[in-house]
Amino acid sequence: MQAADIVTLLVNSLTWAMATFLVAAGLTLVFGTLHILNFSHGGFFMIGAYAAYSIADALGGSGSMAVYLFGSLAAGVLVALLGLVVDRLVLRRLAGVEDAYVLIATYALLLVCEGSTKLLWGLNYHSVMPPAVLDGAWIAGNAVLPKLSLFIVAAGVVVFVGLEYFLNRTGPGRLVKAIAADPWMARLLGVNVRLVYTATVAIGFALAGLAGGLLVSNQTLSPTLASAFVIQAFGVIIIGGMGSISGAFLGAILLGLIDAFGQWVLPGLPGLPFFVAMTLILLLRPQGLMGKAKH
Amino acid sequence: MTHLDRRSVLKYSAAAAAMAGVPGLVRAQSGPLKIGLITPLSGPQEFIGSYVRNGAEIAVEQINKAGGILGRQVALEIRDDKANPAAALAAARELLGAGINLHTGGISSAVVLALGPVMQQENGVFMTCGAGTEKMNHENYSPNLFRPGDAPDARTRAQARLMAEKYPEVTRWTGLVPDHEYGRTTWSIFVDALLEYYPAIAKKKPVILEPVLMPYGVADYRNGITQALRQQADGVFNCTYGGDAITMFQQARGFGLMQRYKVVCDAANEFLIARGMKQQLPPHWTGMHYYAEANKGNPMSDRFVADYLAKTKDAEPLGWAAEAHASLYAFKQAIEKGKSSETQAVIANLKGLTWDTATGPRTMRAEDNQAIKDVELVYIEPAATDKGYKVSQYTKVDGKSVIFPPSPGKKLSLKTA
Amino acid sequence: MHTSRFLGGGQRRDHLILLALMLAALCVPGVLNRGLVFIAGMVWINAVFGLSFNLLFGLSGVLSFGQAMFFAAGAYAAAVLTQQMAVPFVAALLLAALVGAVLAALVGVVALRRSEGVYFAILTLAFAELLHLLIANTAFLGRNDGLAGLARPSLGFGSWRVDLAAGDNFYYFIVLACGLLIAFIRWIVDTPFGRALQAIKQDPERAEFLGIPVRLHRLVIFVLAGATTAAAGALIAPWAQIVTPELAHWSNSTNPILYTLLGGSAYFWGPVLGAVVLSAVFYLTRTLVGMSDMVTGLLLLVVVVSLPGGILGLLARWTRPAPAVRARVAIETEGSR
Repeated sequence: MQAADIVTLLVNSLTWAMATFLVAAGLTLVFGTLHILNFSHGGFFMIGAYAAYSIADALGGSGSMAVYLFGSLAAGVLVALLGLVVDRLVLRRLAGVEDAYVLIATYALLLVCEGSTKLLWGLNYHSVMPPAVLDGAWIAGNAVLPKLSLFIVAAGVVVFVGLEYFLNRTGPGRLVKAIAADPWMARLLGVNVRLVYTATVAIGFALAGLAGGLLVSNQTLSPTLASAFVIQAFGVIIIGGMGSISGAFLGAILLGLIDAFGQWVLPGLPGLPFFVAMTLILLLRPQGLMGKAKH
Repeated sequence: MTHLDRRSVLKYSAAAAAMAGVPGLVRAQSGPLKIGLITPLSGPQEFIGSYVRNGAEIAVEQINKAGGILGRQVALEIRDDKANPAAALAAARELLGAGINLHTGGISSAVVLALGPVMQQENGVFMTCGAGTEKMNHENYSPNLFRPGDAPDARTRAQARLMAEKYPEVTRWTGLVPDHEYGRTTWSIFVDALLEYYPAIAKKKPVILEPVLMPYGVADYRNGITQALRQQADGVFNCTYGGDAITMFQQARGFGLMQRYKVVCDAANEFLIARGMKQQLPPHWTGMHYYAEANKGNPMSDRFVADYLAKTKDAEPLGWAAEAHASLYAFKQAIEKGKSSETQAVIANLKGLTWDTATGPRTMRAEDNQAIKDVELVYIEPAATDKGYKVSQYTKVDGKSVIFPPSPGKKLSLKTA
Repeated sequence: MHTSRFLGGGQRRDHLILLALMLAALCVPGVLNRGLVFIAGMVWINAVFGLSFNLLFGLSGVLSFGQAMFFAAGAYAAAVLTQQMAVPFVAALLLAALVGAVLAALVGVVALRRSEGVYFAILTLAFAELLHLLIANTAFLGRNDGLAGLARPSLGFGSWRVDLAAGDNFYYFIVLACGLLIAFIRWIVDTPFGRALQAIKQDPERAEFLGIPVRLHRLVIFVLAGATTAAAGALIAPWAQIVTPELAHWSNSTNPILYTLLGGSAYFWGPVLGAVVLSAVFYLTRTLVGMSDMVTGLLLLVVVVSLPGGILGLLARWTRPAPAVRARVAIETEGSR
């Protein structure tokens, strides 16, 4: 393997990793705070992608970076609003309910997302092109680095830094962390836990929608998009530690590297290294890389 | 066109309500002739299944307008097989149990292979409208299964021969192959044909590189694309399919992969990639089950296109619709020839049948229930129009000249295995 | 849900219910058409699948999101044994159950040692997907196409032969086999072992103090559930006559969970009722093409959000004059995760 190959492989892994992180960030945030594993997160990611596509279409196509980013942000806002509805109707009633029921309820919600997407947008495949400025690649010697890949990596890093800053350096963010750690104490101290939960859900869903918009040109738009990312996102947050944003970030990078090198070494069994890694982590360190050990 | 609008929801609700209370349908001897349509109408193959349904419905409307079959009007019993054998089996058994013995639809290979034994046991007939597996004419052959459309080997071999004819100087070939049975078999047939036709037609020996195995059912193909870049081949044969193919082409754009090849040959995606990518698509050859332009002047084709447009507002029916259309006309001819819609009579009359379709006349081979028809290949390029693409070349290849001889019951054996 | 007894009434009552169901099932081929007979057979198999899941979830408090792996293992084992190794069917069925048990032992020893709750659930999901990948990439298992053309067997006992391929004979066999499996599962519930599991579900710490080996019990029930699930899977091989890797996909793992929650996990017959109702819903909406996702999703949401006890829970509430104890205590559970 030449240096160029390694560079390309690294960039590919990071691209996959950051794409998965963008999807997983909202999922792990909601789990960390509300202890709800939201199976439908992928469905809202998909709705975000479709929404961004429609918005960009209405504004004359995704050729301009400004339109592309605007579409992503608008998708984030839209899905956040949907999240508030879902919170009201479904998630609130699941507080204190056993995990199995929560998983099933959110799985049911995923089916509703898929059904609604088909009703609203039809069955056709859509391909959204990245903005003109992201078309093509940088050639560094023998290494080919698509600009879209670099954009996705950059987006992932920006979102990560933004979330870490929010959670660790701002008042509201630290409140979210406090409540995740000990809601009973927080309530005793007079914090309106319900409000913070709702806000967290909104942020988690907004992240799903934003991810959908940012990644809309990364793959074909079809009603099966939700299932494509579900297992990957789960794997990443398990390995990283459920509830930890930095864990999801590191977990994504680790899994991305394992998957890419695994495909190199074992091309006949795609996906195997991913599951083996996920299983090993769950067995050796079930709380994940950054999670707290269970008492 | 494929939206589920309120009118169709109401129509289906009424139909469901009507069906809900009738578990054991009485066999109707003099009522309409019911033919089962079992095809994916939900799930990942839904998009293609919708073409199958529309094509079948148009055929039925046309046939009924012309007086039906043996004086009886035809009615379709439509069931969703979700591209999943268990659901297909349930649907097939339900229809068979209700007295319906003739069925069409089936585009998923797994479904077709699963239905073979059941059709034999329960004395039914099933036609596939585009499943890609060659096994149904080989080791999984059943007299009750028919393929009224393209033989997978005929089309792939026609494509290889076309490459040798048009691109004799392109001798370094590689493949983008999805890692499953259909993908690997298609690639093997293509390679076998390259090794046959290039020396014969281009007087050169082709160099076959190790194909790039693409993971199946994922959303990221970058590693495979990178592998392909390293190979520096001149020609590429793509067997990835449907939404996966579009995603792969989309991601390949960033790498400029397709631009590095002298020719891109796609196995079976018809206009899917073109419609998905529009002006951004790389120019490529692909195979069509049916291409309207290539059949202009054939009255059946012209009528089919007109009726399709009127029904669905879609001016470009994809090939699977035409395969469904052809299957119903095959049934019509076979039933009228034998004056009976009973299974054994229909089987006997389908075998060896020559019948007219939107692509011209086809013949159903008696030995292995495979139709011989012209293979249609088109060259698609981006265009500065609303549609985003145009067909700049097309060719019809005589199926007889490329199809493998029949070998029912035996595994497919390639000379260059 | 958190009541101390796994509500199912006495064993005798349940045996009578089982007998009644089997008799009703045996009448089905005379009344309904072949397609519905096929679906009825599937319902019996799914009922056993659901009941096996509930041995873990309702009885023992163990949530597994990967039961599909045992179902697929049983199905493929039966397929390979009968098609490629010419093993007689009943023997193949028992061997398939054994394969399920062994697989469950391997997975359980490793997984139960290290995790519980949600983590265990996701681990089982990961193992199931691993198996799915392995099956889909193994040549002699047919890769993605699976194994097709599986024949319905004929049974021979000495000089007496029964051809299960003829008519509805295999359906009767399914009813009989599933009836036996259900009786076995019911028997487990009432043994001291079964009662110990209920205690473990209630309060694992207290059970440990009482001298009940918690981990061992969980492993044993996991193995038993794996065996019965594999047996159900083995029945599907000759019934559908094809086995594909989809049987091991995670969406197949959600099926027994759906049946159980729909019917009510606190009741022995919950999964059976859930399997019947869900099949009925799918059948009735089969012509309402493309809407099946929405309908299933909405139905489940409604059940989980407003009817956590499932259908039987709802019926129990209606037939009880005093309001049932609400087992969800918000404060207690919010802080204790």
